[in-house]
Amino acid sequence: MSAAGKGDLTDAKKSKGNKLTETEAIERAKQGDAEAFETLYTLHKRRVYSLCLRMTANTAAAEDLTQEAFLQLFRKIGTFRGESAFSTWLHRMAVNVVLMQLRKKGLSVVPLEETIETEEETPRKELGAADAKLAGSVDRLQLQRAIDALPPGYKSIFVLHDVEGYEHNEIAEMVGCSIGNSKSQLHKARLKLRELIKTAKAQKASNR
Amino acid sequence: MTCTEFERALADIIDDESCRTVEHHQHIETCSSCESLVNDLNAISEEARFLEREAEPSARVWNSIEMALRQEGLIRGRRRVFTIFEQKRHWWRAAWLVPVAATLLVIFGVRYELTAPKEASKNISLAANDVTSDDDQQLLQTVQRRSPAMLASYEDNLRNVNSYIRDAEESAKSNPNDEEAQRILMNAYEQKAMVYEMAVDRSLP
Repeated sequence: MSAAGKGDLTDAKKSKGNKLTETEAIERAKQGDAEAFETLYTLHKRRVYSLCLRMTANTAAAEDLTQEAFLQLFRKIGTFRGESAFSTWLHRMAVNVVLMQLRKKGLSVVPLEETIETEEETPRKELGAADAKLAGSVDRLQLQRAIDALPPGYKSIFVLHDVEGYEHNEIAEMVGCSIGNSKSQLHKARLKLRELIKTAKAQKASNR
Repeated sequence: MTCTEFERALADIIDDESCRTVEHHQHIETCSSCESLVNDLNAISEEARFLEREAEPSARVWNSIEMALRQEGLIRGRRRVFTIFEQKRHWWRAAWLVPVAATLLVIFGVRYELTAPKEASKNISLAANDVTSDDDQQLLQTVQRRSPAMLASYEDNLRNVNSYIRDAEESAKSNPNDEEAQRILMNAYEQKAMVYEMAVDRSLP
């Protein structure tokens, strides 16, 4: 499913009563209407903030990035012609703001293993080892903690694909890597998550 | 097919069953370890789609966005009161905006007092240390009554803008002929007037 297909996960469709619809708000925001800007912010703030929070695992940084994403959007709102869904447009902008910020901080958006791939760096299934099954028992809290613990490069691609619903071709374009690399990094991210969750489960079991 | 060969192919076939060959299917059926791996990775991927999306940014974020939009002129309309600052006037001629904004706030505050339940004004404990004037206290009390969630944000804004004004005033006094210092002071007053004006807007029924 593409991210555009996930548009209904935002609050954009929830505008009711005498409040502005998204389309009305976009047009009025182009005229400089304060209420329209606030409406657009209210409709999309949770999704943008959640993305930023998931990518940074830091509330202050996530708020700063949310602010920056909306400011960039509002500065360019006059150029929005409706060729794509507004939520897709906004979300792409938020992703770009986050990725740019990660790059500024020197955090690799694409893992180094992409170019210097070694067997040792790739999370692997331990053949012959006792293999605790996760299927059907992946707790969301555990998963969220494991995502927070992922290296930034893995995290970006996992969040964009599995959480936000972007396709590999879209991720490749945003992150600046090949489609094959996006697939490869996603797979490694999932393997790493599996490893982290299994470790957490084992620790939890040993503490009992 | 060996487990190693299967694992190498997994990145390409895990999300797209149509890419799986007969050998892949046979391996999954006969190797419990690889079957478990596929099930785990699918479970992680499926669970990720349902992660909580209800995290919400604090009120500070919108407040800052709104302020930036006004400063950049992207929000237009009746706030053109600030056009006065676009003219080359001396800073002391612009300082009247702050008390005017404060007066507006008091007027709307009084209007609210006449219509609102009296309980609203009880038990208000504000961090007065950093906010110096009665007008500021009045503003915070109004915000407390109308938008309690915004209180911390307004306290922050007032603290920052008061500090900004103090610095700008000192600089302007030390350098009375410095146009840049006066421009900065006008900007400081403008920001404070903006904070008041935003509060007045939010107080309107």
